[in-house]
Amino acid sequence: MPQGVLIVAEHRDGKIQGPTLEMVAKGRDLVSKHGGKLSVALFGHGVDALAEELAQYPVDQVLVGENETLKSYTPEGYSQALKAVVDQADPLVILMAHTTQGYDFAPRLAADWNLPLASGCVDVAVEGQGIVVTRRVLNEKIAVDLEFGGAPRYVVTIRAATFKPAEKGGAGAQVQKVAVQVDAAKIIRKVLGVEKPQVADVDITAADVVVAVGRGIGKKENLVLVQDLAKMLGGVVGASRPITDAEWLPKSRQVGQSGKTIKAKLYIGCGISGAMQHVAGMKDSGLIIAINTDPSAPIFEYAHYGVVGNILEVLPSLMKSLKS
Amino acid sequence: MNIIVCLKQVPNPDLQFQIAPSGTDIKRDTLNYKVNGCDEYALEEAVRLKEKLKGKVTAITVGPKRTEQMLREAMAKGADEAVRVSYEDPAALNSYQVSKILAEAIKKIPHDLVLTGVQSDDYIYSQTGAMMAGFLSCPHVSVVTKVTVEGQNLKINRELEGGDQEIVSTKLPALLTIQSGINQPRYAPLPAVMKAARAPIREIKPQDVGAQSWDQFAGGFQFKVRKVYLPPSRGKAEMFTGKASDTAAKVAQLLKDKGFWRGG
Ligand SMILES: Cc1cc2nc3c(=O)[nH]c(=O)nc-3n(C[C@H](O)[C@H](O)[C@H](O)COP(=O)(O)OP(=O)(O)OC[C@H]3O[C@@H](n4cnc5c(N)ncnc54)[C@H](O)[C@@H]3O)c2cc1C
Repeated sequence: MPQGVLIVAEHRDGKIQGPTLEMVAKGRDLVSKHGGKLSVALFGHGVDALAEELAQYPVDQVLVGENETLKSYTPEGYSQALKAVVDQADPLVILMAHTTQGYDFAPRLAADWNLPLASGCVDVAVEGQGIVVTRRVLNEKIAVDLEFGGAPRYVVTIRAATFKPAEKGGAGAQVQKVAVQVDAAKIIRKVLGVEKPQVADVDITAADVVVAVGRGIGKKENLVLVQDLAKMLGGVVGASRPITDAEWLPKSRQVGQSGKTIKAKLYIGCGISGAMQHVAGMKDSGLIIAINTDPSAPIFEYAHYGVVGNILEVLPSLMKSLKS
Repeated sequence: MNIIVCLKQVPNPDLQFQIAPSGTDIKRDTLNYKVNGCDEYALEEAVRLKEKLKGKVTAITVGPKRTEQMLREAMAKGADEAVRVSYEDPAALNSYQVSKILAEAIKKIPHDLVLTGVQSDDYIYSQTGAMMAGFLSCPHVSVVTKVTVEGQNLKINRELEGGDQEIVSTKLPALLTIQSGINQPRYAPLPAVMKAARAPIREIKPQDVGAQSWDQFAGGFQFKVRKVYLPPSRGKAEMFTGKASDTAAKVAQLLKDKGFWRGG
């Protein structure tokens, strides 16, 4: 009977990616409650050092699929490699982080193997031979518990920064090479390279004060409000993704998962809802102030101070009050 | 090149939501709907590719009658045809089933390329695209920020975390999930809006794909919405409400107290 948890490790530039260690923490929790082993699948080429590193975390075994064709992640390569590992570990839950790799791989795997997928979860529990997951939907405002049952195993992805990463320690896991069969002809996707973002106009990660602007600003002409406030406070203007998508501000100003991660002393969010991909980039700031017309906006969950109001009115008033 | 673009209608997320008496959905009678954010970019990308390479763009959705409005907007913005798969569940939380239904419908429409958005703004599953590619047995690439067609090959930028872009290639027929910002979506010209208002919308029912009912595509496993609820608030923010001049004065005082305002 399938039991336990198998994590698909994610690595880039020779480093284990942070969310993988968060999965280890959650995976440990699951197997200690529901039994079975905590295994980690590591695929790549020349990844011995990474395997040894993973083995220092509280996992039971690191199953390594070593192959030239697995040098970079591709869905076709990884699913072939995963087949052999899953046959050996026979896990009830295949766990991945809800990262861009998770978006790409987990649904494809679920469809190809006809397995249920619960993606972007904030929690997961095993009940019998089924699972129950918790998700946040509708801009974080609503929670949903979903049950899945009657399948041999379940694919689950968990949002980054939901659980604290595991720390090194434990008995020292066993590292085992698995004989993976990868048919290179089946790998249609070719990875040609990685482009890093270009040099920034300003480095928002170095600023003490970031006044961040979101879709709530309405019009490009209104940006002057946040620019003026940032100047008064000796800070810089940051933005949520819709603002950089619309090219109202350069990409270098974007705060969040696909932009910059900032730890400002002061972050003021103006007309930003607080989607998880934005929050990932600013939640560790020292003092967080949010201004939003919607009292149920999720940004208020992370803010220390919140103003329910229209930024087009509040910002001019604020600047006037500061000067007086 | 024949392109299918998948669109989803989502509730406007700036609203406050309430739980339906059933406890397994939100109250839907007062919602207003709009087209999902990244789907607009997917549509624009499809129309641009067609303008360059010739062919046809078909906009498709799985959803109730209300989604026809969105399909008409898509035609006004350059889609040549529109298809509604008449799956009436307003919540449609079973993403496996929705992807499977969509894939079955798409098999009935000639295509070289299928585009979806990266995720839907309401459920943020990020499943439908890549899952559908599995059901269609074609290659896929997720979180796409640039596409170039070179014969039967596609050269693609795929977004990773932190602003990095991975450059990959794949082969047609393929499915891509499109990220916001890949282009600047156009507005619909008025004559096109008028024309789209009268354009036919093809409907696909279970019988059209050789099924008795959509239940047939629910996967061989059990899926159940156990509970829909308001999440416990993690919030500890001190809130200022009321007149803008009053709340602004409080924030100004706060900034002064915390040493962020040194006058000037
Ligand atoms: C793979 C991926 C990566 C992503 N990466 C990032 C990222 O790095 N950074 C990022 O920010 N997003 C990112 N996103 C997008 C993210 O999911 C959200 O769509 C985005 O953060 C929303 O931006 P917003 O808050 O400005 O807009 P919205 O969510 O539309 O919110 C606008 C807010 O403004 C409020 N408002 C409206 N008018 C006013 C007014 N006059 N005064 C005050 N408030 C007002 C509304 O109530 C609403 O809460 C990513 C998405 C994906 C799929």
